[in-house]
Amino acid sequence: MSSGPLTRIGSWAARWLSQLGALARFGFGGARAAALLPRAGRAVVLRVTLNQIRFTAVHAMGLVILLSGILSFLVISQAVRELGQIGATDLIGTLMVVAIVRELGPLITALAIVGRSGTAIAAELATNTVMGEARALEGMGIDPRQYLVLPRFIGAVASVFALLVLFDIVAITAGFAAAGINGMTGTRYAEIVLQSLSAHDVWLTVGKALAFGLILGIVPSYFGLSVRRAATEVPIAVSRATVLSIVGVFLCSALFVLLG
Amino acid sequence: MIAPLTFESLPLSGRTRAPFSLSLAPHQTVAVLGDEESGVDQLGGYALGLESPSAGRVRVFDTVIADLPLPERLAFRRRVGYLPAGDGLLQNLSLRDNIALPLRFGSDASPREIDGRVAVIVVAVRLTDAADRRPAQANEEERRRAALARAVAFDPTLLVLEQPFDGITARASAELLEVARGGETAEGARRTILITGQELPTVVQRRCDRVYRLTRAGTLELETV
Repeated sequence: MSSGPLTRIGSWAARWLSQLGALARFGFGGARAAALLPRAGRAVVLRVTLNQIRFTAVHAMGLVILLSGILSFLVISQAVRELGQIGATDLIGTLMVVAIVRELGPLITALAIVGRSGTAIAAELATNTVMGEARALEGMGIDPRQYLVLPRFIGAVASVFALLVLFDIVAITAGFAAAGINGMTGTRYAEIVLQSLSAHDVWLTVGKALAFGLILGIVPSYFGLSVRRAATEVPIAVSRATVLSIVGVFLCSALFVLLG
Repeated sequence: MIAPLTFESLPLSGRTRAPFSLSLAPHQTVAVLGDEESGVDQLGGYALGLESPSAGRVRVFDTVIADLPLPERLAFRRRVGYLPAGDGLLQNLSLRDNIALPLRFGSDASPREIDGRVAVIVVAVRLTDAADRRPAQANEEERRRAALARAVAFDPTLLVLEQPFDGITARASAELLEVARGGETAEGARRTILITGQELPTVVQRRCDRVYRLTRAGTLELETV
């Protein structure tokens, strides 16, 4: 029996919704598991979390500084030249805040983390599963989400937030340098950028850090633990985790714009 | 007296085999051996409720673990020591931290109490020199000692050991079996032990109360040592 386009769209949507439901269940299950941690277990989770933050945030600082600095330098250099010709240099502040701080900064930071740490988390957890480590944890009465997922989730949220703040600081500083090189005084640059920044941008950064951290902590962990026993499943899990994380970050970003 | 572990009419792999049934009495050490096709490697997972059989049931201390809600299931498993095939040691932890892990996540003991308990177990399994190595830096025998130490961390009354002696010497196997037995009582070993695998060293078979061979047809044949 051939299926019509509506049927295919319906089954595609059902698959996606089912996947989203499974991800949500996984996330809530992990949060519930966190509440049941004994004292000594919390110390272990803290140690693994700090290790995750070292890998996800500290080791990624150079990459984020590079991306943020170059992006901001290019955008502000071009803007000062082009907007200067029509006497609209005041718009540089809006450009910096709206384009870089609100949108591109979180997006590029999240993509950098997906590429560096999302893939690593998915590959590590998939390997844990293939090597029988996740099963051994369950056999010992330990919820794998407590030891394997929770530290990566907390680490991802904290790292995204820290790197977003770093991205914004570097972007504004690099913009300052770019404006100076292109003939704008530092005082003027600071004045128009500060005028465009508001408390709303701070809350937006916190909101996006939390939302992107959720995605980057849960999606790779879910796909990493969803493999069964074959090593050939590891690259498939990593690929799926990466694609869904990127799609999730972009959809989430669009949702933030829609919600104002 | 409640049997620590009972398998009731489990269909193991294959279509024509007879259902598998076996009951372990307290203080007994029982080995079930069979080749890869026999389905013997499924018994440990069924016993711990890690997998659910398509029919039949497995009762541990008269409880079907697989039927319990997750938190209760995890808590119940702490009453059973488990050494999975391939050790299942976490590669990013030292052998000492691997042994401590179930205590850290499954008890309310203080870190000092846990460290003390782990130090005692490390000495008991003769792992003092290698305890701070990671699994990849340790040899097969040291990894197996660590995996057994982790399985007995809660001092369980029932142990399920999957291929515990593969790749190690008969002497080390005999030594580890004594650690697993946990001492002797008037009725036999202090712990009830189920060992699964393909082969067992003769010296270990002699210390078992019963050794069965699971045939491809699904029948259990008592081995004579």
